[in-house]
Amino acid sequence: MTVAPRRITLAEWDQRYATLRSAGLREPDYGGLLRRHVDDGDQRLRKLRMDNSAAALRLWNFLLTEEDRLRRSKECGKKLVGTMKDLGTVPVMSYSLPNLVAFYPDGAWWLPCLLEGDDKLLKLADSMGVDESFCPVRAMLGAFISGDRFPIPGLITCSVGATCDDFSAIAQCVESLGFPILWWEMPHRRKPEPDEAAVELPGGFRAAVEQVAIVKSELERVRHALECYAGLPLAERQLAEGIQRANRVRDTLGQLRDLCFTANPCPMPALEMLIAEMLAIHFCSDANEALSVLQELLDEVRRRVHRGAGILSPNAVRVFWVNPVADLRAMNILEDVGGRVCGTDYLFCHAIDRIPSDLPPMEALARMALADPMVGSPIDRAERIAADVCRFGAQAVVISRIPGASHCAMEGILIAETIRKTMDIPIVEIEVPSLADAMEAGLRTRLEALVETVNASQAERTS
Amino acid sequence: MIFAGIDAGSRTTKVVLLDGDGRDVIAAAVVDQGIEQDLLAESLLDRLLRENGFERSQLRMVVATGYGRKLIRVADVSITEITCQAWGVRHRMPEARTIIDIGGQDSKLLRLHPDGTVGDFVMNDRCAAGTGRFLELLATRLNVRLASLGELAGQSRTPAIISSMCVVFAETEIIGLLASGITPADIAAGVQASLATRVAAMTGQNVAAPIVLTGGVALVPGMQTTLATALGQPLSVPSDPQTTCALGAAILARRRVNGLHERPS
Repeated sequence: MTVAPRRITLAEWDQRYATLRSAGLREPDYGGLLRRHVDDGDQRLRKLRMDNSAAALRLWNFLLTEEDRLRRSKECGKKLVGTMKDLGTVPVMSYSLPNLVAFYPDGAWWLPCLLEGDDKLLKLADSMGVDESFCPVRAMLGAFISGDRFPIPGLITCSVGATCDDFSAIAQCVESLGFPILWWEMPHRRKPEPDEAAVELPGGFRAAVEQVAIVKSELERVRHALECYAGLPLAERQLAEGIQRANRVRDTLGQLRDLCFTANPCPMPALEMLIAEMLAIHFCSDANEALSVLQELLDEVRRRVHRGAGILSPNAVRVFWVNPVADLRAMNILEDVGGRVCGTDYLFCHAIDRIPSDLPPMEALARMALADPMVGSPIDRAERIAADVCRFGAQAVVISRIPGASHCAMEGILIAETIRKTMDIPIVEIEVPSLADAMEAGLRTRLEALVETVNASQAERTS
Repeated sequence: MIFAGIDAGSRTTKVVLLDGDGRDVIAAAVVDQGIEQDLLAESLLDRLLRENGFERSQLRMVVATGYGRKLIRVADVSITEITCQAWGVRHRMPEARTIIDIGGQDSKLLRLHPDGTVGDFVMNDRCAAGTGRFLELLATRLNVRLASLGELAGQSRTPAIISSMCVVFAETEIIGLLASGITPADIAAGVQASLATRVAAMTGQNVAAPIVLTGGVALVPGMQTTLATALGQPLSVPSDPQTTCALGAAILARRRVNGLHERPS
């Protein structure tokens, strides 16, 4: 029997899980009841509403077992690489070597939310003088201090230069604690001079050949470090295969996004889509499994779209969402008040674009890295967002500020102004801390007012 | 048949009763907010009904708005203060293109389309320096009634410069200024200017005229002028600026009953 898709609570998932099991659900080794993660400390799950599909169950279980997976990999003799401030480049290189497992220590920024503050990670960061005036990714510092949130990797890489100031400061604190970091330089992406040799980057940007060469030489340094750490050479063929695998993940995610954002009714909740998108940059410590998880999610979405089934009303207001949220509940709230996500820019759109496969691998990776929205002018990012807002037919935009994040204090204003040049749609800025419970009323009011505003305009046009 | 709008704000609760035509305000009242927001709103509603010779049964629909809107059990439906404020102002000043609403603990900017629908909005509920809370703190510190603060500020010859953007630190600054002999009038004028600067910063550029100021702070004498100076543009204050949001809620109650969309006619 086909069950109607909907968002359900953790308690409802208990029942749903039993039903799925009795219907013959087959799960990977990390599968199981979602409630067990609450017993492990992930208290936030009790306040979330999650999609009721087996595909979503697998996604959640995959996300919440990353720590176990890393520890198991280490026990099996694999070598761990912490790829900090890296939105999708070094992991591709790392997974091209058979004995390396890359992960994203920055992902610790969600731990204060998932553990509902019980993790003490932020307090540990406070003790290092890295207080709430910094981005919530400071939880990563706490994780390095406590040493019990992920196994400490034998090699840590971190990009620096045209990246977030906060992050650089936090990463330097990590290094000062005795965790050596291989820093690699990312120059600010500038527009090529008229007489300067330039190349196309993924995402429609252009960069001077000279800049690409700088990034390539930096990545060659990282490649050498990975080879030394792995004790194996990284052949061009292996790298090309690694890029192919990353592209399969990106292609699958691209199809998932396109289908999910354009179908009506909305076939998959914003929360699951946020988590799915994050897989593009770090693969959740298993590149092959990440692809399978995304494929199952895509299959589920296809089935729903085929049946015309969705999790929200067909009248839900189409909202483009800018930047990821530290508190996952924010995505639920948008849907609770009558909105749906119809497009996103979670700061790493370049990691969803295909890595060029018609170029030498290192050249291709350098161009992809330089297409990172955070390393160029905020205007470049704003223009890409404005184009996507238009492409996905958004009726409103939410710009979610990350408290303390300083890659561009004016970015929200610039994005809003750029969108307004071409579209007359309401735009609201919000700020979502790791635990937004105390300010939920204000957050809800903003999102609800956004939905009301669109509906009022809609009524005006149709009358 | 009458309609009611209840604005359960952070500092006060406002109730407006509207007649069946949706044209005339039968009654409006404001009380200080309390812990039992629901009971407070209901008792104010009952009092207004009683004083104006109505019974509950004649009340066709109640819309709640404001931060506490979800707590008001007597309401049939809740609508955000953004939508309600726009409707209330539109009723009183249809030509308005921008609304600046400064309440006790938040401030908002609403940009309106020429047809009166909301085009966009900005809300500040994180920084008390742009809200009426700043004035309350000052009144307490100077030991004057809030209502007298504007009059006091009007006596200023050289408004003090309040440099802090945080109300808590501004209080320390005020204590320092008093200790150094700056007059209460100059401090009051300085705080008004500081509040206006914070609000003007929130509005950004391209604020379309006519601009309307609403909320409890609009009742403070001098704020209209101070804010106009900070914005570099004149602004108007509607009659009874504290109840425009509740009025909008009452108008929306009537429109819902009449099966009309939430857009201006």
